Amino acid sequence: MLQNYGLLSRIKISHALVSVLSRNICLYNGSQQQQQQSAETDREVKHHEKYATDWWNKNGPLAALHALNEIRVPLIRDGIVARGNVKSHYINTTKVLDGQRILDVGCGAGVLTEQLARLGAQVTGIDLGEELVKAARAHLSNCSPELSSRVQYEAEAINQHAMQNCESYDAIVVSEVLEHVDDKVALLNSCVQTLKPGGSIFITTLNKTIPMWMGGVVLGEYVLSLAPRGTHHWDKMIAPLDVQRILDTMNCQTVLINGSTYDFWHNTWRWINSTQLCYALQAIKQKPDEYASSH
Amino acid sequence: MLILLCKNSGAAAATQVRSITKRLLATAAADKTTTTTTKSSPAAEHFDIIIGGGGLVGTTLAAALAKNATLADKKVLLLEGAGPFKGFDVNAPYQNRVSAINRNSIELFKSIDAWQHIEAARCKPVKQMQVWESNSDALIQFQHDNFASDVACIIENDLILDAVYARVRDSAPNVKVLNQARIECVGLPGAAGAPHSQVKLQDGRSYTCELLIGADGANSVVRKEMGVDVFSLNYERMGLVATLDLNTEGDCDNSVAWQRFLPSGPIALLPLSDKQSSLVWSTTVPHAKQLLAMEPAQFVDALNEAFCRQYPRVDVVDKALQALNAFFGNSGAQHQRQYPPRVCGVQERSRATFPLGFLHASSYVCNGAALVGDAAHRVHPLAGQGVNLGFGDVRILVDTLATGAYAGFKLGDTQHLIKYERKCLAKNVPIMVGVHGLHTLYSTEFSPVVLMRSLGLQLTQNFPPIKNLFMKSAMG
Repeated sequence: MLQNYGLLSRIKISHALVSVLSRNICLYNGSQQQQQQSAETDREVKHHEKYATDWWNKNGPLAALHALNEIRVPLIRDGIVARGNVKSHYINTTKVLDGQRILDVGCGAGVLTEQLARLGAQVTGIDLGEELVKAARAHLSNCSPELSSRVQYEAEAINQHAMQNCESYDAIVVSEVLEHVDDKVALLNSCVQTLKPGGSIFITTLNKTIPMWMGGVVLGEYVLSLAPRGTHHWDKMIAPLDVQRILDTMNCQTVLINGSTYDFWHNTWRWINSTQLCYALQAIKQKPDEYASSH
Repeated sequence: MLILLCKNSGAAAATQVRSITKRLLATAAADKTTTTTTKSSPAAEHFDIIIGGGGLVGTTLAAALAKNATLADKKVLLLEGAGPFKGFDVNAPYQNRVSAINRNSIELFKSIDAWQHIEAARCKPVKQMQVWESNSDALIQFQHDNFASDVACIIENDLILDAVYARVRDSAPNVKVLNQARIECVGLPGAAGAPHSQVKLQDGRSYTCELLIGADGANSVVRKEMGVDVFSLNYERMGLVATLDLNTEGDCDNSVAWQRFLPSGPIALLPLSDKQSSLVWSTTVPHAKQLLAMEPAQFVDALNEAFCRQYPRVDVVDKALQALNAFFGNSGAQHQRQYPPRVCGVQERSRATFPLGFLHASSYVCNGAALVGDAAHRVHPLAGQGVNLGFGDVRILVDTLATGAYAGFKLGDTQHLIKYERKCLAKNVPIMVGVHGLHTLYSTEFSPVVLMRSLGLQLTQNFPPIKNLFMKSAMG
């Protein structure tokens, strides 16, 4: 029961979360549905941009997002290490991700981006919210030159980014983004395009389950008003199996699904055995020959 | 301010360039010379971690940070107010400041390779501890089954310092030690817009760092700057230490630590060698001054009397204790009682006093700073826990910093430092409450309290599960 309570605050995060993907409506001239989706994307972006100035306040509305770093950074780090691409003498040092190129899709003001770069990775953060990217750059300017040289921010959509960066990243991170995106297939497709064969895509989001909806939406938004109404929608939540199925069609094999939950009373995330609430997923883009042999 | 600047699209880049130039200048200046005066150069040398205070806990922390694989590339500065450490002479007479080091602390020394150094010099394992009181026959003895392992180890403070300094000197290229470095003021990141913690020394030099660790004792400057609430009590007592010569006959190997609670405070005899022990006597301030001024012969008499003198008894308590012992089937319990060896002399100039107090900081961490050891907590020496709690802090802090750095957290990030505080509070608070409780319980002669504490002590002595629980928490 307490765990379910934890969910309530999970929505705090969702304030924070920015969807990066916008489907470029110009490509689909005039379809009414596309226009609706674009309007919805704008709404999400504006919603998150409201918090741009407060994004780096660890005790502000995004406290839970900051706290999430405690489990998602080790997940990404160990996920990359487990692929065997990290030199053994870097393991257990703060250079562990040295030389790894990572794309942080929907980076917001860079809470995760900077932290991955601090482990030596070359990180690109992209986000649709221009205010957020400005806040991210401003925060980076206070960091050490070594760190700022490893981070780059762009205010652009993933499909645009994918055009110029085909198969160029060792890892893609889509953290707390999927639940704000309408067309998940297009987003994941563009992400996978930018990923080198053998690279990993890491996704963290919330599950589409009754407990999550009751805790996060009904109680959190409508009863306790922990988050503004309309932050989360049942329609946009997605179950891990569905993500896995989408990734399968894109030649990515899911290797890990971990459940997690948030304890709002001391602002801490932890891994749990159930994926009923929130979850993290890692999938590996298969090399062409592996793909051929498995099919 | 920065956010305003960034409203112009080019300004962000400009700010970045400016901050980079500033930092490059800072490192260049620091490389050139360390003797710059404040007037000529405002640039301060930057370190990852600065430890304020090179005492037992601070120096051990420096050695432990250098030993950790994840933190081995961090630049550490250790600031010590006193001059260079004079070293330790194993042939010199025993020193009066000693510590009872428990198993957890020994593990810490082993992990930083300092234990061999200590063992090779001199340390005295304690096989058994006997605690008794003056107003009743209640008594408790702590030992492991068949004396299989030691209860604690008595080590001179200077020997511990010598061992950890040797580690810092020989195998910690990333640690710089600065002597005669008295901290004048410190600044923390945050409100003033400073990105780093700063330390300004009395001689004008200043330094910046990601994480400032206050290991600067009970009057910590770092703690004052952190602005945490402090709960403190002055016990109005003094601790008196001295090195004593014992009159041990024949085969006695002097491996028992003795402590007797007197109405004025506990008196303890900690073994140093077969013929010598260290004294820790907590008593009222006037009495301590009197003891300090006594002639050696007179002082020795006062000591022997303190261990043996009969104080007024309460009949009810004696009866209750007899009944309790009979219930547990060892009516002859009092025959277990041993008496400490007779003191026959006191080493010249080894008597010294220090004030006793209780102190606990409400928080151990803030953005860019953390407290360890006496800066965060101070207890009565009656259970020998003070320095062990500090060494426990060191273990937890190094672990927390390493995990945090390996997860990409900044060293001074409260988000992660708070884990250090949570673990430390869980470890320290029960022991501190316990020690303070014992002090309060034994500083009265009020008969109902005497009855309760005597029964409690005797129950603990006769009931192994409770006794083991206490032993575990006190001895690690």
